[in-house]
Amino acid sequence: MRERRFALALFLPAFVLLVATTTLPLIYLLWSSSQRIDLTMPWMSGTAGLENYAKLGGDTRFWQSLKLTLIYTGTTVVLQVLIGLGLALLVLQVRAGQAILRIGAILPIVLAPVVAGLFWRSLVLAPDFGILDFVTRALGLGSYNWLGDPQLALVSVIAIHTWQWTPFAFLVLLASLAALPPDLYEAARLDRAGPWQRFRHITLPLIRPAIVIVVILRMVTALSAFAAIFAATGGGPGSATEILNLYAYRLSFTELNIGYGAAVAAVLLLITLSVAFFLFALRRAR
Amino acid sequence: MRTAVLLAIAIVMLVVWIFPVAWGLLTSFKTERDVLAYPPEVIFEPTLVNYHDVFFGGASIVPNLISSLIISGLTTALTMLFAIPAAYALARLDLPWKRATGFWVLATQMLPPVGLVIPYFLLLRKVGWTDTYQGLVLVYLTFALPFAIWLLVSYFEEIPREMEEAALLDRAGRLRALWHVILPQAKGGIAVTVIFVFLNSWNEFLFAVVLGGNTVRPVTVAMFNFISLEQTQWGRLAAAAMVGMAPVIALGLLAQQHIVKGLTVGAVKGGGRR
Amino acid sequence: MKVDGGRRRTLAALGAFAGAPWIARYAHAQDLGAYQSAKINWRQAEGESITVAVIPAGYFDALEKVTPEFEALTGVRVRYDKVPPGQIRQKAILDLTAKSGTYATHAADPMYYDLYVSNKWIDPIENYLGDAKLTDAAWYKADDIIPAWRGANSVGNRLYGVPFDGESTLQIYRKDLYDAKGLKPADTLDDVAKNAKAIHDPNNRVWGAALRGFKGAGQNMYIYPSIFRGFGGNWFSGGALRVNSQEGVAALEWYVNLLSQYAPPAVRNWNWPDLADAFSQSTLGLYIDANTSASVLNNPERSKVLGKIGYARWPRGPSGKRVSSIWNWGFPINAALSEKAKRATWLFISWATSAETQARTSWKASGAAKRLGLNRLSLWQSKEFAALAGNLGTNFLPASIESMRDDLDVEWRPKMPQWPAVGETMATAIQAALVGQQKPKEALDEAQGRIAQILKG
Repeated sequence: MRERRFALALFLPAFVLLVATTTLPLIYLLWSSSQRIDLTMPWMSGTAGLENYAKLGGDTRFWQSLKLTLIYTGTTVVLQVLIGLGLALLVLQVRAGQAILRIGAILPIVLAPVVAGLFWRSLVLAPDFGILDFVTRALGLGSYNWLGDPQLALVSVIAIHTWQWTPFAFLVLLASLAALPPDLYEAARLDRAGPWQRFRHITLPLIRPAIVIVVILRMVTALSAFAAIFAATGGGPGSATEILNLYAYRLSFTELNIGYGAAVAAVLLLITLSVAFFLFALRRAR
Repeated sequence: MRTAVLLAIAIVMLVVWIFPVAWGLLTSFKTERDVLAYPPEVIFEPTLVNYHDVFFGGASIVPNLISSLIISGLTTALTMLFAIPAAYALARLDLPWKRATGFWVLATQMLPPVGLVIPYFLLLRKVGWTDTYQGLVLVYLTFALPFAIWLLVSYFEEIPREMEEAALLDRAGRLRALWHVILPQAKGGIAVTVIFVFLNSWNEFLFAVVLGGNTVRPVTVAMFNFISLEQTQWGRLAAAAMVGMAPVIALGLLAQQHIVKGLTVGAVKGGGRR
Repeated sequence: MKVDGGRRRTLAALGAFAGAPWIARYAHAQDLGAYQSAKINWRQAEGESITVAVIPAGYFDALEKVTPEFEALTGVRVRYDKVPPGQIRQKAILDLTAKSGTYATHAADPMYYDLYVSNKWIDPIENYLGDAKLTDAAWYKADDIIPAWRGANSVGNRLYGVPFDGESTLQIYRKDLYDAKGLKPADTLDDVAKNAKAIHDPNNRVWGAALRGFKGAGQNMYIYPSIFRGFGGNWFSGGALRVNSQEGVAALEWYVNLLSQYAPPAVRNWNWPDLADAFSQSTLGLYIDANTSASVLNNPERSKVLGKIGYARWPRGPSGKRVSSIWNWGFPINAALSEKAKRATWLFISWATSAETQARTSWKASGAAKRLGLNRLSLWQSKEFAALAGNLGTNFLPASIESMRDDLDVEWRPKMPQWPAVGETMATAIQAALVGQQKPKEALDEAQGRIAQILKG
């Protein structure tokens, strides 16, 4: 009982703050998605019920955006975790210059996304004018329109996002790995278990909670990625890189159809919640 | 031999990794002409004019650096203050309806920022808190708290139970147990959380633009002074970006020492033997 | 009052490193005679404080520099909030829709006035222009402000925002390259392709022609309408918006063909500054864009083409029409303000858009960069401006003046409250066609379908 009260005392402040600040906006979001709020046609305002959601069904742009989002999110999260984990393991093994490696590894994420997007677009990826083009030509690999070709553009923005955010996975997993008690390995080594087996059967299960959290948090970031893609392609070419988040932004803030944009945002929320719920269950499955 | 190979891989990865940032650094010392030169120049005559403008020019970002420091500093401090106890309770204590509330906390992180801009704007307007530090920090807290709580939860869960049980046996010293025993164990995790909470609020743009104004104007917004409608002043933009990165890197340098505190000489985790 | 430490600090930094201009400014501040000759009481809104949202740009910086004169003249305090161009419309709209009155006025996109008016967010300017206590008509000379810009800022023939700074689009070409091949600047759209072909030399990094490709209502959809109207297209047929007409498809095909053949591949993501950069690095033979790029192209710090620049009006399309873009940043009046604040705002607007202030932010301004996009034809034709514009390149002044007098077409883009959505949809279609994702006809058909959906609500 005493522990319960102690626990509550520790937990409540954050909980109350979150309830206070997120409930109203959530209600507003859901309410506005059930309304017709189109600033460009104010004479049409009124309740719409589930009309906005029904419209989603026939909106090809929405489905395409959804597909892009799934590809984008899935790819970048997997890449981030794999590369991040790999980097973390690597850094732990290399004793010399560890600090430099650690600092170097977090540099991409320290660069403001908006600047990163601009840099990549104009200084690095532009064919005939950017550095990457110069390098690929010099290496005899030819020239590619990294951001101007619809397929390549998706690859490029995935690369940019992965490049920017893998440092997060790297640092988090590094801290996780570093906190593991060393005596576990003694026991394993005595059992003549090889390095891969040690990794699979001892390390991995122990850092699984950390990996799952990283996956969930990275997924949330990927789903709400905005600044870098916007600066690099604006959602283009055409709508080749317009993930759901960008589509919701365009609807609400550019087309000013706030009701419909809220509906798309609500769908995005639903998707995020479902995947997170599923992953969350994985966390506990011991 | 193995070390040498690993080191080589590490160096190659590092070079590719930091290349864009390194290129940004180079750009910040170039004149506009050199920036646009093709083939891209690696050797050029460096100039300090960009940094001069960024610090002392008409569009100096020094006030904005201070603004950013206030915003991110407050956000980070408040977040850690609320999140550490909450995370500990979630991770290790007997909290009623733990799984449900835990998931709910995580769920608040899922609210898409795009859908929240308008309601937050309207709410802050109502209370008269637009373009104020308290308003923006409050909004940032709603993103930072769930993030920090859940990061910390995974670190608290790694702490061996025996250590805690021993500390908690002394009923009078529960808080002291937390402070003196548990926290130092999770130092690495706390350091990582601090870095990212600070970083996320430092680099945030959308809410800062909409909810801020003349008073609350962080570096991310001020950088647009160099991306005017007529032209992009690449040199100055790069210099501003570098200056904008400096505080976070400084923080990172400070905090990262704590991340691998558990590494003993010669020990190796999860991989092979040297 | 809120602490405006940020602004104070910036001013301090400005002051510490701008000694001479301070003296000049104070000297100017005493020279308010030019304004006081107007038969109105400039001090009727004394004590008010207004906030004006603008974008970071040279012309607003120039205005900010001379604002202390306004404050001395009227006793009204002015604060500027510099919002990045990608967010200013949204921020202004949020403020307007919440009726919070934070921004007394802001730099407004002329295509948004229909939206503002249908939501009743702004006041008609005639209320203020026609009020003898607020405006001395003989002194202010409202009719001197470029007519087509006023037209663009009007809804149903009523003016809603006073143009402050603007531009027209021109052909900007490499005079030296054209002269070498004996070419004349294009008179028709066909000539553009011919000229481009003649100087196109990608192996030596010179591309024949380029236009904006970046997706956006104010980006590639800023150039396409001129081509559309040049082909004789009309946005509205029978009262309904129609974008996939024959002329529309023909115009898009011309756009796509020109760029695929003669522009660098990177153009698909290029916006105006990228084009100016490329041209200034002598890699483009021609591009068509705002005449105000002249200042960028003549900046010795970046440009390699000083003295090699020529300007010409938009070429004629098959229909015989030459249509330039109409762009201006105008100042509307927020309807949610108090009466006194509205008067203060009008005083600010009329001051900023008066001939005297336009001159003071242009050739009379201190510092190297001088404003070019003045809002009055008389100023464009003045000898002081001619002296200023003289060395920007061949034919800059005549081309600009003629363009603003004759080539401006109020029907240039579809004026409707739904413009923000329609413009974006068109921009996407244009870029999709540009990158070959769809054929021009397909892209426009799809855009038409989507627009129909949008208009249905």
